[in-house]
Amino acid sequence: MSSAIEKGVDGKHPTNETDQVRELDHDEYDPIGTAILVGIYFLILVALWIFMYFVEFLGNGPTVTGVLLTVVGLA
Amino acid sequence: MAMRNAYIDQFPKEARVIRAILWSSFLALTIGGTLGLIQGLHRTNVLRFIPSQDYYTVLTAHGVLLVITFTIFFLVGIFTWAVTTSLDRGVKDIRFTWGWYAIMMIGTLLVGVSILGGVVDQIPMNADVLYTFYSPFQAHPAFYVGFVLFVVGTWLAGFDWFRTWWAWKKDNPDERIPLPTFMALTTMLFWYLSSIGVAISILAFLLPWSLGIIDSVNPLLTRTLFWFFGHPVVYFWLMPAYMLWYTMLPKLSGGKLFSDPLARVVFVLFLILSTPVGIHHQYLDPGIAEGFKFIAMTNTMFLLLPSLLTAFTVVASMEHGARQRGGKGYLSWLKALPWRDPAFTGMALAGLMFAAGGFSGMINAGLSINYLVHNSWWVVGHFHLTVGTAAALTFMAASYWFIPQLTGKEIWNRSLGLVQVVLWFIGMTFMSNAMHRAGLFGMPRRTAEPQYQGFDFEPAVGTVAEIDAQVALGAALLTLSVYLFITNMVLTTIGGSTSDAIPDNTYAGTLSGPEDAPVIIDNLKLWTSIAVVLVIIAYSLPLASIIDAGGLFGPGIDPWKPSVVADPSLVLESVRGVMP
Repeated sequence: MSSAIEKGVDGKHPTNETDQVRELDHDEYDPIGTAILVGIYFLILVALWIFMYFVEFLGNGPTVTGVLLTVVGLA
Repeated sequence: MAMRNAYIDQFPKEARVIRAILWSSFLALTIGGTLGLIQGLHRTNVLRFIPSQDYYTVLTAHGVLLVITFTIFFLVGIFTWAVTTSLDRGVKDIRFTWGWYAIMMIGTLLVGVSILGGVVDQIPMNADVLYTFYSPFQAHPAFYVGFVLFVVGTWLAGFDWFRTWWAWKKDNPDERIPLPTFMALTTMLFWYLSSIGVAISILAFLLPWSLGIIDSVNPLLTRTLFWFFGHPVVYFWLMPAYMLWYTMLPKLSGGKLFSDPLARVVFVLFLILSTPVGIHHQYLDPGIAEGFKFIAMTNTMFLLLPSLLTAFTVVASMEHGARQRGGKGYLSWLKALPWRDPAFTGMALAGLMFAAGGFSGMINAGLSINYLVHNSWWVVGHFHLTVGTAAALTFMAASYWFIPQLTGKEIWNRSLGLVQVVLWFIGMTFMSNAMHRAGLFGMPRRTAEPQYQGFDFEPAVGTVAEIDAQVALGAALLTLSVYLFITNMVLTTIGGSTSDAIPDNTYAGTLSGPEDAPVIIDNLKLWTSIAVVLVIIAYSLPLASIIDAGGLFGPGIDPWKPSVVADPSLVLESVRGVMP
């Protein structure tokens, strides 16, 4: 691997851009906060989709008309 | 004293060319941003000092300068950094690098001058065709030639990176492709594939038509060829931002990239899926059958996957950084992130806005819901979150890290940088939410004066005046943000003094490295072949049907009568249409 990959606090190229107080390796790290944030985003999307139902289908007349033939491009 | 090891120290020749490229990008951003303010104030009737007849000239320049010139110049600069840094070797021949940059510049000048002709009488040209240059809008040949030159320049840039990689591979036959290079190469592969569409559209149809060699074109064919390129181009803007989120954000957060294999999978998915989706921009084009649009929609929905994977991986990498910096708790680790760093904060806010843009993108992608928002201001709100923030704000934020690397100078004022990125976020919140809402009650895009006599828009919530005020305010804040950015960059470059405290030129390490990814992931030939097959499946029948119905060179646009009842003769015609 290239030497440009950052090595972290105990590596050859420590960076002065971080204030690292501990080293967490792959097995010690549990991204629970990320799971919570992704869950929140998912709930927002669900709420917006429900909102969209009111905007699109109750606020206006139907936009796709016709039966099967229209949908498959035969009419 | 430790030796400084910034990019300019490692690759002084490449740093010079990347500086020139980024400056071209910043210049386009400044001009394009200013034009955006003119439009924002004009449309909302806050301040009108150009005649409405010139609105399309301004809009064309705004679109082309920002979504083509600014973004793509930034891309080629950053990809050159990424390839040379991660392969730890310079480009093969720096003259070649200057060469493709010069070609891109000549192309930009031709396009720029031809658009400027729309408002300057002394220039006998005109190119008020907007960024999409749909026929029957016709531009001066210089516009098309310039556009082609610009794209050819990017092709050569890609070749430059590929041959640098080939040379590296000869020396390192058993190593995995370093991640930043992998990202640059996969991005270029779908760029080559998709820009064939716009090359054919221009060279075979629009340019000969503009030169008077052929009498007419088939508007639906050139539109479809444009979108064959036009959707992948949005990922072309986004991939440098993704690369920066994967390789820089974890490092700036104080952590490591959560998963290198996942990042590779994401870029492979973009290579495969970027191109066979362009028809989702044409859901309302009557000449394309619903079934083909359905295929495009299905591919598009799959395309959400790599972005959702990215949201997880990038946020998990930031959380890793926050916890290494001492962050604790379910959500209070967020406070441990380096929010005072403009490079970090700008990129993180850009990612946050992209999550909102992801939702409006899902709406756009839905075949039936798209009818509600098509050609409305909603769409403009959407892409100001994606290219206008996810890409643009990331690029500006990243510049606070890159310009010191490229010049050896400290940023003139980092606090101002922080103000600048936050101002962009606030300005875009005002402007974009108002545009989305305006689209929902049908306010059109690409219109100088959306104020009509005897007709009033009826917003479900709020008023038109309030929406206009938000757009005008947002546009003003965004333009101010651009000026703060450019001031900081200029004063850093010409005024700043060389510093030994510039951090080393490194990118993020990984928690799970490439050794955890199956070797097949690096098989670029395989993924490119799959991409080509998908493009053939998605496009061969629609293109054949379009050519059959309208002719290769038009003008066979017969009047078309909408019908909800299956007319037997229409059915026959449709069957003929799909089976050339």
